[in-house]
Amino acid sequence: MKTSALGRLRYLVGASALVILGSGSMATANEISPERIYNLSLAATCASCHGTKGISVAGQDMPKISELTHDQIALAMRQYKSGEKSGTIMPQLAKGYTDEQIEIIAQILGKK
Amino acid sequence: MNRRLFLGQSAALLGTTAGINKLALASSQTKAQVVVVGAGYGGATAAKYIRMLSNNSIGVTLIEPNPNFISCPLSNLVVGGEEKIGALTSSYSGLTDQHGINMVQDMVAKVDTQKKTVTTAGGNTIAYDKLVLSPGINMYMDSIEGLAQANADGITLQAWKAGPETVALHQQIADMPDGGVVALSIPLAPYRCPPGPYERTCQIANYLKANKPKSKIVVFDSNPDVASKGKLFKAAWADLYDGFIEYRPAHKVIAVDGKTRTLKFEFEDDFKADVLNVIPTMGAGNLVVDTGLANMNNRWAEVNFLNFESTQAKDVHIVGDSIQVAPRMPKSGHMANQQAKVAAAAIVSEINDFPVNPQPVVTNTCYSFVNGSEVVHVASVHQYVPEEKTFLPVQGAGGLSPGPSRLEGIYAWGWAKNIWSDTVG
Repeated sequence: MKTSALGRLRYLVGASALVILGSGSMATANEISPERIYNLSLAATCASCHGTKGISVAGQDMPKISELTHDQIALAMRQYKSGEKSGTIMPQLAKGYTDEQIEIIAQILGKK
Repeated sequence: MNRRLFLGQSAALLGTTAGINKLALASSQTKAQVVVVGAGYGGATAAKYIRMLSNNSIGVTLIEPNPNFISCPLSNLVVGGEEKIGALTSSYSGLTDQHGINMVQDMVAKVDTQKKTVTTAGGNTIAYDKLVLSPGINMYMDSIEGLAQANADGITLQAWKAGPETVALHQQIADMPDGGVVALSIPLAPYRCPPGPYERTCQIANYLKANKPKSKIVVFDSNPDVASKGKLFKAAWADLYDGFIEYRPAHKVIAVDGKTRTLKFEFEDDFKADVLNVIPTMGAGNLVVDTGLANMNNRWAEVNFLNFESTQAKDVHIVGDSIQVAPRMPKSGHMANQQAKVAAAAIVSEINDFPVNPQPVVTNTCYSFVNGSEVVHVASVHQYVPEEKTFLPVQGAGGLSPGPSRLEGIYAWGWAKNIWSDTVG
């Protein structure tokens, strides 16, 4: 079976993850870690059209994905990917992402 | 990691004289320093995302000669008179005020990859732990006889780097008498923005149709056919601009006579026009070439696609139009913005001794206006394939518009506002 990108990264992290855990501080979601950099930079592929962190500039009509929940983003992406949902560019782009990448993007950009 | 010191103009005030002025700033002694050269779609995005992904723990200096960001995408609307250049211009203040980036308005004259310093034309030497080069493209003005002179005289414009020439080209077309001819010459691919010349053809025809209906545009393409969105552009030319556009493929301009406004070709007869827009062949920005990093035919820079590090120099990362691209990866502003995020993530990881993401992904989205409001797109997704050590387009993903639409015109402006904000906001 093919290893996922995140799986490969977790494997590569191995030793340095121990260093982080052994540094005494509790790792929080906002601390720099390999996984956080991976997740944020993956979600940042959406930012070119939808704005940094999915927050659109006011006064224009690109769909505002930061106002959607995790479930709404994940569902829309899966439906674009399967062809269930129509659109202009998104049906074409969604097909280029793996299911795991879609899940991470939805986690990062979804309304908290 | 060897922590380098930031040096600034104030070194001179301390009485330091010749050579490399080193000024130890207490605040930067423990902080890694990244220098980014060029604040276009690639460089500005890299600078911003290095700050964001590192929680502002890495110092970033961004060096750019221009006082503002002017977008090349959408600048064909200025050539055709649908927009003013001000609508495509953004301030760099977001990068300094929101992200704490140290912005230096200067040219970089020299990079020393051994000492890990850059020296600006203004005489500042700045040390780096990591360097990002995003100088865009260099126009080969000498590749066409007489072009450099005709361009210096303001007769033959390229207007391929958005700015004063973009505005001047529109003015030339506006000043042309009705019944006049505009000639556009397109270089052989690869060049910056594959669909750009064909969108420009639409925008000039759009202007002529509304304002000078006896005029026409003649397009001389060095390529054997329209290099991007071919069917869509040809359909738009036939549907919207019948009689206004003459397209001549496989025509290579070899000389320009500015005085008589004449184009000369490899094989065909000379052609005289009222306005000449000659886009020459192009390659990596001068700084990349001068630093010895243009290791693909002395034209483009080869990089490791996992971190966009030059294959020629350690800790020097190159993004944007200067690189030797992966298969079917276009030279576009959107792509430069995407590459910059992969490079930024890798740089932050490397500085923190983290492993670099083994499988990054980038996308491309490119909108072209066929008139003032209707748009066609091409889009693609490129996943890194470890076995091939390159990005490859995902089969079955990406594609084109079925035809021009106003909805995509609205999205094109949304894209523009959001990517400008993502890049410099």
